[in-house]
Amino acid sequence: MTEKIYDLNQLEQLSGGSEEFIKSMIDTFIEHTPEQVDKLKESYNNNDLKSMGAIAHKIKPSLDLMGIKEVYDDIRKIELYGKNEEDNEELSTLIEKVYTVCNTAFQQLKADFNI
Amino acid sequence: MNGIKIFVVEDDSFYGKSLHHHLSLNPEHEVETFTTGKDVLDNLYRKPSIITLDYSLPDISGKEVLSKIKEFDQDIPVIIISGQEDVSTAVDLLKHGAYEYIVKDNDTKDRLWNTIVNIKEKIQLKNELSILRDEVNTKYEFSNIKGNSQILKKIFGLIDKAANTNITVSITGETGTGKELVAKAIHYNSARKKKPLITVNVAAIPKELIESELFGHEKGAFTGAVAKRIGKFEEANGGTILLDEIGEMDLHMQTKLLRVLQEKEISRIGGNEVIKINVRVIVATHKKLAEEVKKGNFREDLYYRLLGLPIELPPLRDRGNDILVLAKYFADEFAKENGMKDVSFTAEAQDKLLNYSYPGNVRELKAIVELAIVMAGNTKIDAEDIAFNSTNSMTDFLFSETTLKEYNRKIMKHFLEKYDNNVLLVAKKLDIGKSTIYRMIKNGEIEI
Repeated sequence: MTEKIYDLNQLEQLSGGSEEFIKSMIDTFIEHTPEQVDKLKESYNNNDLKSMGAIAHKIKPSLDLMGIKEVYDDIRKIELYGKNEEDNEELSTLIEKVYTVCNTAFQQLKADFNI
Repeated sequence: MNGIKIFVVEDDSFYGKSLHHHLSLNPEHEVETFTTGKDVLDNLYRKPSIITLDYSLPDISGKEVLSKIKEFDQDIPVIIISGQEDVSTAVDLLKHGAYEYIVKDNDTKDRLWNTIVNIKEKIQLKNELSILRDEVNTKYEFSNIKGNSQILKKIFGLIDKAANTNITVSITGETGTGKELVAKAIHYNSARKKKPLITVNVAAIPKELIESELFGHEKGAFTGAVAKRIGKFEEANGGTILLDEIGEMDLHMQTKLLRVLQEKEISRIGGNEVIKINVRVIVATHKKLAEEVKKGNFREDLYYRLLGLPIELPPLRDRGNDILVLAKYFADEFAKENGMKDVSFTAEAQDKLLNYSYPGNVRELKAIVELAIVMAGNTKIDAEDIAFNSTNSMTDFLFSETTLKEYNRKIMKHFLEKYDNNVLLVAKKLDIGKSTIYRMIKNGEIEI
């Protein structure tokens, strides 16, 4: 098995020991976030930077809480580019990275929690 | 404290869920999550104790939701939780009544927790305060001014009018007629009731100190001013100030007071800062101010300024049956306080109460009734249990039950003393021949 991209430390802390809560949070995460990540990429491709920024803003706390640390800075950069409606080369790399990393995280979570 | 209802407004269900869970860790918290602005606004009627609000909602902007919540009830603390760290937005929201602005990051839940603990403390204090305030309010409800006389009903009408406006009120009446009670009734039934009612007894403060008492002073303004002091006007800001015994104020101070009332601003002694004040003024006096104006003891312009709505409290002796209503009320209160059974007055006792002149008015009646209960030692108060303190009262006089001749002698003696043994004047006053008086003096019935 490859190294885990996610880290449930923070979520566990928050749960106060409730397995049920952790499970339900992961369910919610898997239910909603993949769709948002797709949209993130989509809006970038459509050059709708404003929506892209808004989506980044929205999913940022979830990614933080699920401990997907690899994209911690990236998602913030995307949000800022979106807010300023500024496109540049870095942005396409960032989008691609966030997309890939998140999807790997989704796969891992689904496998680990039998979703 | 139990049942803190927290509304979490968060469109991201994942984050909303985590907040919900986090806040539910304390069993006192009753947490509900809403995903849109409209949803939470539709549920405000259920009176949440605290609302946490995500700034970027899909339907309505966070700022608008905030202002709608504040419109509904400005006392609900709203904690803004936002993904963006934009200082100007934060400042703007705080200005518009947000309780706290928390950014979504790793510290969010701790900060939120601390904020909620703070709010809970505040709510508790507020509840205590409002319980105490209600207690005070009931104490000064109209129904606590006892009596059924027509003259009193008229006064209730005036109090009501005064309470509904900010007009200056001048209360006159003999000592013990309840001037302070009326001032309190006005204040606690007015829109200012949540702000302080400050009472200043002008007669009780040395005239050198009154200015600093009313307007305050800065540190070092005069010898002995070792610290800054806030004056009574400033303390009463937003509320009511009662200037009792205003007739005793000296002319110099009257000038200053007039200026303050006209400009609606004060400055502390020795200070340059001008402080705007919004205070309703109630003045009370046992003197007839109009007469003081004539005598030159009271400034005419100030008199008119203060006259406002005049309320003249009748002396107790003019309130007829109210004497018995009040006597019964004070008796019941006293009995209750001292764990005694219901107290009643015999017909003779009632008669005696009704025939007294009460120079000390209601305050005196209260003292008389309380003493009578103690003297009676049982629940039936008889005439002989009632003792009046004033020496030359008519009732005591009549209750001495002596011969008509003796009554004559007493009356004559009283008048001679009063008019410096001026026999001619006394004869005229009593409409009797002066020889009658001379004869009594000659017979040794009276001495002059």
